This record gives sequence, structure tokens and C-alpha cells, in this order.
Amino acid sequence: MTAFFRPSEYHLPNNLSEAAQLLSNFGKKAKLIAGGTDLLVTKPPEVECLVDVANLNLNYIRKDDDGIKIGAATTVDVIESSEILSSGPYVVLSEAAGVMATPAVRNMATIGGNICNASPAADLSLALMVLDSTAKVAGQGESRILPISDIFEDVNKTTLKEDELLVEIHIPLITRTTGASFIKLRHHQTSVDIAIVNVAARLTCSKDHCEDVRIALGAVAKKPVYAKKAEKFLIGKRLDAELIQKSAETAAGESKPINDVRASAGYRKKMVPILVKRALEDCVRRCGTWQK
Amino acid sequence: MAKININISVNGRWYQLAVEPYETLLDVLRNRLGLTGTKMGCGSGECGACTVNINGRAILSCLTLAVQADGKEIQTIEGLQKRPDELHPLQEAFVKHAAVQCGYCTPGMIMASKAILDHDPNPSEDAVRKGLSGNLCRCTGYDRQVKAVLEAARIIRKAQHE
Repeated sequence: MTAFFRPSEYHLPNNLSEAAQLLSNFGKKAKLIAGGTDLLVTKPPEVECLVDVANLNLNYIRKDDDGIKIGAATTVDVIESSEILSSGPYVVLSEAAGVMATPAVRNMATIGGNICNASPAADLSLALMVLDSTAKVAGQGESRILPISDIFEDVNKTTLKEDELLVEIHIPLITRTTGASFIKLRHHQTSVDIAIVNVAARLTCSKDHCEDVRIALGAVAKKPVYAKKAEKFLIGKRLDAELIQKSAETAAGESKPINDVRASAGYRKKMVPILVKRALEDCVRRCGTWQK
Repeated sequence: MAKININISVNGRWYQLAVEPYETLLDVLRNRLGLTGTKMGCGSGECGACTVNINGRAILSCLTLAVQADGKEIQTIEGLQKRPDELHPLQEAFVKHAAVQCGYCTPGMIMASKAILDHDPNPSEDAVRKGLSGNLCRCTGYDRQVKAVLEAARIIRKAQHE
């Protein structure tokens, strides 16, 4: 092993079993590459074998009676401008895609890479979490399906096994009155700045009552997390400004941010309720049932 | 594993090369093909100095492996001019508006601008600013580039109507 990123092998498998076989053979020395916008920045020196997903036919967005299916190698710019993701609560995903990194990075980076890099601040992951998306993961054995949030284990660490790769994202169809929103707080020194705090929310209403809600917080824990107490606080209740405020404060209590180069833990903690409140208000507006 | 053979088209000319798995497209363009117009900036996707266009879309050549560019058509700043004595309208407009000062960001900035105009020949000022948001310039303050791109867009549209 050298101290530099010097993989000696590059493979371009044509099917999933070939890819899983390569990942299994090389174990920790293998790394999947899609857009390369994370891998070629971190350049891990232990990597000896690159497995490129380009020929696995995982670049698609399809909608059917079952929901929306997105191939893991679909690039972020395609998600940003997708007709399928341009209306209803699904816009939360295209909006998150639109504010991620820079245009050139979006042309390269993939949704699967954004998820599997397992950054606590990953924009797309939060949007997918509030849409109750699931991930299809393939390996040498049977493929399995798991909720998106179950992929994340720790900072830049997933629960995927060595021979497994993310294949497809499934977003269930939403038929009831629902609004969703994504809000990202960041410095604007450069537009690749990742979030100081980012928040996604999705609210399903009947008349002015909250039937179902999802709130996901980014950059305030070791992985993207649901604000479960804040969600529970809203369910079944009549939505008004006070309720939303209290729910947002509950979400802040659930966050466990750290100090880093972008912001202090204290600042992050203060920003959580503000962003959650704005996201929920956005959801309510988009549901069209806002009651003053 | 030995080197990997790739075929890439750069500015309309096909090259066959044997590359290491870790060589970036930027390395290949600059060190093997001698196309030093494309610049190495931050090496981490922040600055946009290494922007080139692949199949009409702006990408960062410092974060693209050469092997990943196999079979693709790449355009760099050297490939913009149709004739040696005639600048591309974007280049003309950058000169006219003094959108070039130290010049280091310029090739990436112009290739990002080219991708904007290829996608939308009549972009709004906002679209230009968003399109260039991944290209850092420490000299000009960006206003000149935006004006240059908008003027180049007008000139290109006019030329196409004639």
C-alpha cells in the first residue's frame, strides 16, 4: 500500500453479479466509482481496485402505478430537471438536487453516490427520507430492499456489506393532499459549500389536520436523522402557527450537532427550529390548507 | 494490471491512449496531449478551473478519470476557435468586456459559458450567474463575465439568424 491513491485495477462490469463478484474478491481494497466527485476528492490510498457502475444501466427515472423508480447512477442534474419530479411532493427531491454543489458537479455526481457517501449533510438523502423512499441493494445473494435511512450507519459509513451495491431508489406514490419542502442553510463563499444545517419535511393533511408528517435533519448528527419526537407531536393535531413552532423546537432538542469549520454546535442548534418551522410552513402552503 | 487502452475524441480529433487507472482526464489533456489551456486549480471540485465539456455538458476534468472518458467527445478551450485567426464569440466578448484579468479561471469559465449557451441560446442573467456558480474568479467580481456571456449569446443568435 502506498500513501497515495494509486489503484492498479479498473473494471467496468456489465451486470450486477459481475460487480458483486469484483467487490467480494477485492473486499476493502475495492471501491465503486460513479461520478467520482467524492472518491477523487478523498482519494483513499487503500483502494486498489475501482469498479465503475457506468455499464450497469442504472441511469433512469421511471414512474408507474407502483411509484417512482430512480436508478442509482442517475446524475443529479437529471433529477434536478426531471419532469416526473417537477410536481407534487416529489419536488422536494428536485429542489434538493438543484441546490447541491455546482452545475458541473451536478452533471457528474449520482444519486447513489450521494447516498452511499453517507455524508451527514447529504441533500438528496434528506429529501428521499421524507418521501419514505426505499433502496434496493444487490450483492452476491438475493437483493434486498431497505428504508433509505437504514443505509446510514455513521459519518461516511453505510450498512451495506462489502459485496453489495445500491441499485435503485423507490419512492412510493403519494395520492393524498401532501406538501414537501427542502431548505438548506450554507455559506455562499463557494456554491459547493455543504450545508451548515439542512432540513426536509413532508406533510400530509386532511382539511387542516396533520395526518402524517416526516421531518429529516442533516448536518446535526452522525448521519441524516428523522426528528421523530417532532413528527409525533404533530400527528393528528390541527395545524396552526403555535403547533408548528413547538414542533420545530422539539426537533431542535433532538439534534446533536458538533462544532466544525462551517459552524458551531450552538449556532446549528439555534438554526434547526427556524429551518424546521420554515419547511413545515412551506409544506402547509403547498398542501393548500394553511389556516391563520 | 497493465495500463488501459482508451479512445477519446478531443476537439474533434480521436486519440488512442494507454492510461493508468488513476490518471485523471486533466492529467491526460495537459501532460499527454499538451493541451495546457485547461487548468488545475483546487483539485477537489470547488473552483471550476478544470472545466471541459463532454458531449456538450460541463464537467470537471480533475475529478474525471481518463478511463471514464473512454469513447466520449471532449471539448476544451483549444477547440473553440473554428479558424486560428478567428476567436469564438465567447472569447471575443470576454476580451471586449475585460472579463479576463489574471486569466487562470478563464478557460474553465468559458467552457462553462459554452455549456450554458449550448443548453439555452437565450439565457437570463440569472441563468448565466447560476451556470457560472461553480467557477471561481478572484479578480473580476464576476459582473464582467456575466455581461460577456450575455453579449456572446446575442451575437451567436444573431449569426444564426443571418
